[in-house]
Amino acid sequence: MTDRTVFLDGRAVVLVEPPLKSGGQAAVYAVRGDQQVVVKLYHDMPGPDQERRLTRMRTMSPLGGRPLDSAQPPELAWPTAIARNSQGKFIGYAMRRFGEPQHVQLVGLFTRSQRLKRFPDRADWRFLLGVGWNLAFMTARMHHEKLVIGDFSSNNVVVDANGFVTFLDCDSIAFTDEKSGEVFPCLMHTTDYSAPERQAGGPATAASDDFALAVLVYQLLTAGNHPFGGVARDSVSQSGVKDNIVSSVSYVVRPELVTVPRSTLDPSVLPPELLVLARSAFGIGVHDPEFRPSAEAWLRALDKERRQVKRCATRPLHVYGSHLNACPWCARATTTGHDVFNPPVPAGVPPVPPNPPKPAFGPPQIAVAVLLALLVIVILVAAVAGG
Amino acid sequence: MSSEYPPTMPAEYADIEFENNAQRLPLVLCLDISSSMAGAPIQTLNTALAEWTRELQEDVSLSYSVEVAVVTFGGRFGVCSWRGPQLLDARAGVSPFVPAHMFQAPQLAASGVTLMTEALELSMRIIAARKAELRASGLQYYRPQICLVTDGLPTDATGHFTETWRRLIPVLEEEQRNRRFRLYAIGVGGITELGEQVLRNFAPKFNARIQGFPFRELLQMMSASANAEQKGAGDEVFEKIFSQFKTQRPAWES
Repeated sequence: MTDRTVFLDGRAVVLVEPPLKSGGQAAVYAVRGDQQVVVKLYHDMPGPDQERRLTRMRTMSPLGGRPLDSAQPPELAWPTAIARNSQGKFIGYAMRRFGEPQHVQLVGLFTRSQRLKRFPDRADWRFLLGVGWNLAFMTARMHHEKLVIGDFSSNNVVVDANGFVTFLDCDSIAFTDEKSGEVFPCLMHTTDYSAPERQAGGPATAASDDFALAVLVYQLLTAGNHPFGGVARDSVSQSGVKDNIVSSVSYVVRPELVTVPRSTLDPSVLPPELLVLARSAFGIGVHDPEFRPSAEAWLRALDKERRQVKRCATRPLHVYGSHLNACPWCARATTTGHDVFNPPVPAGVPPVPPNPPKPAFGPPQIAVAVLLALLVIVILVAAVAGG
Repeated sequence: MSSEYPPTMPAEYADIEFENNAQRLPLVLCLDISSSMAGAPIQTLNTALAEWTRELQEDVSLSYSVEVAVVTFGGRFGVCSWRGPQLLDARAGVSPFVPAHMFQAPQLAASGVTLMTEALELSMRIIAARKAELRASGLQYYRPQICLVTDGLPTDATGHFTETWRRLIPVLEEEQRNRRFRLYAIGVGGITELGEQVLRNFAPKFNARIQGFPFRELLQMMSASANAEQKGAGDEVFEKIFSQFKTQRPAWES
């Protein structure tokens, strides 16, 4: 296969074959001689609406363009250039590269083996809580800017070693061009994170993002359990997560309806305030978007908890919610023999002593009050400007 | 990755199975290792399997839910299932499925006859058994994938072409209509017109006759398909992925 030359805003670059990743719709290529950039090319020649979408996106700088803290990667893998072929036809776009091992798909936090491999010595419950906080913060600000993530899943968000998140696949977000009034819908979704109305073919909305956010935050706080996991008691044999979503069957709300794998954590590891949010998202909020907690509601509850987590004195990487009087991870290790955060101990070797105190967890240690205040100011400014 | 949890240590393995309650995606590689595959083809297959295994283990998302079983037809024992590199005794009743992040490719050697029909039947049986096992333990599953790869015609135990494969057509038709699995049937090497016709009957939408032995591309297509399954993509996406695979020209032919 010969390497391909494409033009990024007119500048010729050579793409490296084979692509880094290829799916049904597009393939993502590395660029020869440039480690910072990748190019996403659509398999089929994209239509004029996709070109208008990308062209419009190039003029926007969402979320203030860049994070407040320079140690933090951008929260959005926003298009940085339009890609054209030698005939000048629009074929895709360039974005910053967020590759492994620095950036790991969120799903890498959902099993112990991947946590230990990809986030050694750091992925404790406080880290997971912080990642949830970052997700909620990003979502809240996108919604404030009238951007809908649309295809929000554990596969198209990456996390770095400090727990900062970056949303990939920005070309599928839903927004309205304020100048022309043109609506750019989100045509993609991932069924295991899709609210029922999206599975039925409805458009992506802030409320459908809130549903996906609730699922992701729940998964983070339970070290990987999907709230719609488990086999519904009266289900047909093929039914999976998406079917449980559509029929609103979650063990978090109605445990009597579901047979869950025995490793499933009891939802009570969530602090009460967060559990209330989860129950409305996975109960009444499944079919009634009005009752889904907003990203801001998640942000507030996560933030409160983040400042009061407890650290276990017995085992390393055991951090838990302030509402509990004893370490749930130790209790679980005792009853099941399975330590959610530490590797299995080979027989005959004494247990590992607790780690020395670790450096503080990543997200900028700015009090959330400041950030929330900022959000309020932004909203006020926008309101004034808009008014 | 697997050094920490060698599959030969059942206790630790159980621990791994225990901790991951993701929805599973069973994947069966149903591979022709009959005598016509001897030499370069089987070596290419072994190399491609090893490389694909590495990629699969490195893929955070696929390794979360894919579990792999290998079924072979040909070789000394006719039809066999493998649990990673380990040849299974059919009577032992051990499931051949291994979580992707622990999967190790078997070293395959080519010889013998082409019991393709029996191999597909075994593939369907192990999938049905795995589904029952998963469901009983409260685990959900995506639609499983079977990838049948052959360079020949179905034969009987004496190596003669047989029409018994026709008994599979109504079964496969019903199973696929009920979305019980997705079957890909790929003819490679010097497969004949008749051989291709068999595959077309097995998998009306997802069959192909590919020049040479592009096992690497084939396995990558299986990964892309698994990815689409995890995403909950519509049928048209699978068809697109497959047609991209079908029309590509392998590097060594250009």
